[in-house]
Amino acid sequence: MPGIDNQTSHLYFAGIDIGSTMSKAAVVDAEGRMLAYVVGQTGAQHRLRANKLMEDTLHKAGLPLSDIAYIISTGYGRVNVPFADKQVTELTCHAKGVAALFPDVKTAIDIGGQDAKVLKIKNGRLVDFLTNDKCAAGTGRFLEVAAETLGLELNEMGHISLQSDKPVKINSLCTIFAQQEIISRLSAGEALPDILAGVYIAIATRVVKLARQLKVEVPVVFTGGVAKNAGMVKAMQDVLGVPVLIPDEPLITGCLGAAILARDEAFKLVQRGEYQAHRDKKLTEARIDFGEKSR
Amino acid sequence: MSAYYLGVDIGSVGGKAVIIDDNREIIASSVLPSGTNYSTTAAALKEEVLNSAGLKTADIKASGSTGTGGRNATADSYHGVIVCDARGVNLIFPSARTIVDIGGQGSQLIDIDENGQVINFNISEICATGSARLLQLLARILQLNIEDLGPLSLKSTRPSSFSTSCTVFLETEVITRIAQGDKPEDILAGIHRSIADKVSALARGVNIRPEVAVIGGGALDIGLVRSIEDKLGTKVLVPPNPRIIAALGAALIARNHPDR
Repeated sequence: MPGIDNQTSHLYFAGIDIGSTMSKAAVVDAEGRMLAYVVGQTGAQHRLRANKLMEDTLHKAGLPLSDIAYIISTGYGRVNVPFADKQVTELTCHAKGVAALFPDVKTAIDIGGQDAKVLKIKNGRLVDFLTNDKCAAGTGRFLEVAAETLGLELNEMGHISLQSDKPVKINSLCTIFAQQEIISRLSAGEALPDILAGVYIAIATRVVKLARQLKVEVPVVFTGGVAKNAGMVKAMQDVLGVPVLIPDEPLITGCLGAAILARDEAFKLVQRGEYQAHRDKKLTEARIDFGEKSR
Repeated sequence: MSAYYLGVDIGSVGGKAVIIDDNREIIASSVLPSGTNYSTTAAALKEEVLNSAGLKTADIKASGSTGTGGRNATADSYHGVIVCDARGVNLIFPSARTIVDIGGQGSQLIDIDENGQVINFNISEICATGSARLLQLLARILQLNIEDLGPLSLKSTRPSSFSTSCTVFLETEVITRIAQGDKPEDILAGIHRSIADKVSALARGVNIRPEVAVIGGGALDIGLVRSIEDKLGTKVLVPPNPRIIAALGAALIARNHPDR
């Protein structure tokens, strides 16, 4: 890894992660320290969202776009970030981000709005992974459907579930079948906290099954929007049988990893003496994108 | 005076009832949403079909029930939906050897012999993929009856393609496509292909041989029926009232075993 010298110490780097449900951006300095991050809903207009998110993050960091030396985009909507210098898969970025926050991490579990990933990390590097993006069971969507069915907020659902001492076993794998099972359990008189605790256990069981295929080793880091939910965290620990570590903001590991990778890329360019030309070109394009693509 | 037999099928989405006479003629049928209280729905169906036949409870010599909620119906006997499908199809299409039943939340493929006996079958048990569930959603969004989806979809020149086969994810993708301006007929045609793909995947382990009969709520959608024909590479038969076949089968079994 190229070191920090007087040519690179004043540079800043950004990562932007356009997920299926949430979008996130972060800015880091030359030492990889995070200066600011912003999280928002993705919505239907990815490009507009990407521009706005970048603007907001820069504003929070108190930096003009011209100070950002390199930008990496990641996530499901990463192609829709016109000002990014490079696109990197979310697995790579996520591993980098988790390892930056928890250098000893061996297993990372991420549950997103439409997918779930399990990563094995060794010495900060991604060594193996498994993902599910084919089926809504075991993703954040399962929780959204349950919340909608019960007319509850996601947060509220987590807290209510913690009152359960006798979780109901949800037998349906399919989210649609589970929706009906929840209704019939309710009409059969099962207590709401027990049904909710059962819902979290159902998701955790599905994801842990994926994780066990790769062998779960501690420390385990749990991230993604779902990791903010108290009920989900409890279920995950119960099903895994080991405690999980959760970042202060579990949504931003992907964009943080992208920002750190952006720093590494820029340092390589500096080392090869290619940095300056590249930077000018990118910034011109980025400015045009901000001006014309925002509607 | 003839004897009458009642069949009741409480599916995940729709409840159906059929009355037949001793000559196995359909006298009356009715269809209601299954709702959440299956025994109430079963009672309402019975009352409605009796009224429409001009009969009283006492005129029913024997009754049979089937379907997800069929055990909640008051009937002389309960039978699995596979057997009921087989009996019902055999009565209407004696030449049918394969049944494709596309229900509200699941589908099944059944191989039967010339007597309507089940040889083999495959059910989409673990997930709603390949069911008519998305058609119900589309009908709601487009404010059309499920019967009207087919004719519209046949106008499609460029069927939409979808990145997922999970019904839950498809629901979101359909809405995104509408927002992006895909034509309703193209979305429908794309969904028909997706369902037909999944239904034909059930054919693993089940011999598909002519004639093929398509039944269940999905058979009301002629566009889906055409997609299944394309996928299976054969013409299919569709009964005039494809939703009531399992209820018909339950009535036929009640007629054959009135003592059970």
